[in-house]
Amino acid sequence: MAMKIGEKPFFDRVDDALDDTFMRQSMANAQDGLRGKKIAATEGDEAIGDWEDWRSAGEEIRRHTLENLDYYLEQLSENFAKRGGHVFFAETAEEANAYIQQVAKKKNAKNATKAKSMVTEEIGLNEALADVGCQVHETDLAEYILQAEEGDRPSHIVVPSLHKNKSQIRDTLKEKAGYSGTDQPEELTAFARSQLRDVFMNADIGITGCNFGVAETGSVSLVTNEGNANMVTSYPETQISVMGMERLVPTWEDLDVMVNLLSRSAVGQKITTYVTNVTPEVGPQSVDGPKDFHLVIVDGGRSKALGTEFQSALHCIRCAACVNVCPVYRHIGGHAYGSIYQGPIGAVLSPILGGYEEYGELPYASSLCAACTEACPVKIPLHEQLIRHRQIYVEEGYADKSEQAAMTAFGIGASTPSLFKIATKGAPTFAKPFVQEGSISNGPGPMKLWTKIREFPAPGKENFRKWFKEHKKGDSRNE
Amino acid sequence: MSKGTIHNRDKFLSHIADRLGRERKTDVSRPDWEYQPQWAVYQEKTSDELCALFNENSEEKGTLVLETTMDQLAETVEYVMKTYGGSPMVATDDGRFAEFGLTDVFDENDVHIWDAELGERNIEKAKQANIGFLFSDVSLAESGTIAQFNDRNIARSVSLLPTTYAAIIPRSTIVPRMTQVTARIHKQVEEGENISPYINFITGPSNSADIEMNMVVGVHGPVKAVHIVILDA
Amino acid sequence: MKISLFVTCLGELFYQEAAKDMVEVLERLGCEIDFPRGQICCGQPAYNSGYRKDAQKAAKQMISAFESSEYIVTPSGSCAGMFKEYPGLFQDDATWHEKAQKVADKTYEFTQFIVNVLGVEDLGAVYHAKATYHTSCHMMRLLKETESPFKLLNNVEGLELLPLENSYDCCGFGGTFAVKMVPISEQMVDEKVRHVEETGADVLITADGGCLMNIKGRIDRKGKPIAVKHIAQILNSRS
Repeated sequence: MAMKIGEKPFFDRVDDALDDTFMRQSMANAQDGLRGKKIAATEGDEAIGDWEDWRSAGEEIRRHTLENLDYYLEQLSENFAKRGGHVFFAETAEEANAYIQQVAKKKNAKNATKAKSMVTEEIGLNEALADVGCQVHETDLAEYILQAEEGDRPSHIVVPSLHKNKSQIRDTLKEKAGYSGTDQPEELTAFARSQLRDVFMNADIGITGCNFGVAETGSVSLVTNEGNANMVTSYPETQISVMGMERLVPTWEDLDVMVNLLSRSAVGQKITTYVTNVTPEVGPQSVDGPKDFHLVIVDGGRSKALGTEFQSALHCIRCAACVNVCPVYRHIGGHAYGSIYQGPIGAVLSPILGGYEEYGELPYASSLCAACTEACPVKIPLHEQLIRHRQIYVEEGYADKSEQAAMTAFGIGASTPSLFKIATKGAPTFAKPFVQEGSISNGPGPMKLWTKIREFPAPGKENFRKWFKEHKKGDSRNE
Repeated sequence: MSKGTIHNRDKFLSHIADRLGRERKTDVSRPDWEYQPQWAVYQEKTSDELCALFNENSEEKGTLVLETTMDQLAETVEYVMKTYGGSPMVATDDGRFAEFGLTDVFDENDVHIWDAELGERNIEKAKQANIGFLFSDVSLAESGTIAQFNDRNIARSVSLLPTTYAAIIPRSTIVPRMTQVTARIHKQVEEGENISPYINFITGPSNSADIEMNMVVGVHGPVKAVHIVILDA
Repeated sequence: MKISLFVTCLGELFYQEAAKDMVEVLERLGCEIDFPRGQICCGQPAYNSGYRKDAQKAAKQMISAFESSEYIVTPSGSCAGMFKEYPGLFQDDATWHEKAQKVADKTYEFTQFIVNVLGVEDLGAVYHAKATYHTSCHMMRLLKETESPFKLLNNVEGLELLPLENSYDCCGFGGTFAVKMVPISEQMVDEKVRHVEETGADVLITADGGCLMNIKGRIDRKGKPIAVKHIAQILNSRS
């Protein structure tokens, strides 16, 4: 299924979203609920000092890591392999999937458990493994619910099932998994727990993403609240961790800063319930650890951002803080973005990874209010990157021709005072036929889009420059 | 673990270097970061204050905190056993239990001690257990978190599979926050030591807010958590 | 103190009353105001839509118009914010970059100028109403100006300022966003209007022409009995 969600054009997706009252209410509730928690755990938490210093620390670490990405990836892979792990560098999703398929075939694997991971969603790993006869069981509660629904997709990078309400979840589990209880979250959760216990124990492969790779030891760090990352990495004989190539830190000391930024920004926790750090085992094996450990490092288009203004988009640690404050996401939810990466970071990343043809409209789905930039724990200038995407979209000729013409006219108008003077003088006369009770309800030309939902102000009758000139004369008369 | 392998690395990393507009780098030193706010957290706190913070933050996550002393530890552990369902129970294979005088109480109450030689049977025991006993190696005041350096004897299943995990926390293990733990690991690495394959930070019972953002406690890991803090250890 | 008025295109075309009020307030504070006649539009519509070159044209025009000013003061946080973007528009052109930086450095939004430069918080204004204030995104996040409007409004006699729920959320203007993404913008402005209504205020005050045009346009379309005013209109009121 990969990164793309749905086949409909952007505005149809938006219309669908706007019609979904529950989804919209739940997005708004989630944003409003998370806001206070996040503030309390960030700028509101005196114990950690100045939150801005933490953001600067995070930015510093991420920038240095990305500037030296080849070095740290080499170190990570070297240390991972030194302890007996297998590292595969995949330029594309296809290469990553082919490698993992081959591992599964070699093990004759039939069942795999997976802890929530966006990158495996991005490369469409579940389908790839199904093709070789290995079923992937999602174990994160939200992903478990979406998988039961068959074909439902994440609408939020941290809480993928945010768009579903508890009675929808109850119905899905009734129909697909034999659930017979109520729609109480406690009962639904207990059901998932009981269903998945044996699945965890019997899986041949455990699959995880990678919140952070630690270069100095070749470790994979995973943050969860449910404990599923521990389950997935403890019982199957084979573990495969898939990592976006930018998701690493140089040392454990840096991991500390990043985990703090992630936990606090994502859901306002001081630390997630589990921070699980796994490194290939040397010496005699544990019975509750993998015997075979693979790390698949995926480019998947990320390298296109390197060396460009978008490099800092790769600093992202997938906390969704930008999503949680975005007023556009608030109303259209995740699916309308048509990408598993939604909200501001989705609108920045998706065109980088998937191209402008497919995702070029997303950077326009923002009012550039900069709430995202303000929220980002690693200081990615998200709204500026959205503008930069728009520039490229225009430069590469994707923009609407009439808009291009209008903007050229704007450029001329805004740099030619004589023309502007004529326009301001002429505006009241020009607008007159459309003015009713002081405003315009049904404007001509481009104004039509504005007046579809709002009144347009009637140009003031007075000429401000003339007023100012006379006002100043009045001044000098008074003096 | 088998012998490690690395595939496709050179082409991949050269492409990155190309995109970054330079040659491959083979030697990079990590700068002294300009911003290091982590070190200032709880710097001025006394050991008593850190202990109080650890307890407070544990309770905030729904963990039961029991303060005790060395001479009452066995009694406290027995209380936990009674309160959280008793047998079957498991414990990690950790010499500290004997050092702290818990051998008898474990024997009397039929606690299964993890035994790497028994293989998979340990997992079955842990799965059925009502309580798993373990030591916290380092404990974080900031968040009421226990940290464990797990291996084949100090097995992570003990904190993961039973319905309740009960961690024994000598007060001396309490530090301000994760910073002190990761610094220790980093130092270990610099000194050429191998780190533990499984380093776990655990903060109370497992939970999820995936259904309509309602917090539900007890998902894949334990449903309950107990922190037994030994004030004089 | 000598200041140059940057009235903004919306101010010049639609909100002349607010512009006049601003002139009067500043004059009362002893400012000597001039109006550089070469000024047109800051270029934000083109810049935000991805038309960098067209935005540069507008920027050059504005930089030339305001080059010799001592202070540039404008009744819009957003347009002031655009002036601050000018240096970034000329990264490859040292001459223009330097000029842009100078212009950016001396640009202030109206309330910001009064409070932070003139050091005045009480303008002796009188305005009897229950009101609420819309914080504009660009003023708050690009100019980082969050306090000045409140400092001034809190000293207006007779004005009861009510807190606005979700005040940090954008009103849905976003320049061309308002016409490019009409259905989304509509939901955003509707939520804003709903929150304004819930305060029970008779007047909504804002310091940005764009937000004003958007929210007022929606309030009027829906026939809500709420007046929308620019902050200069309140601060120049004496009754």
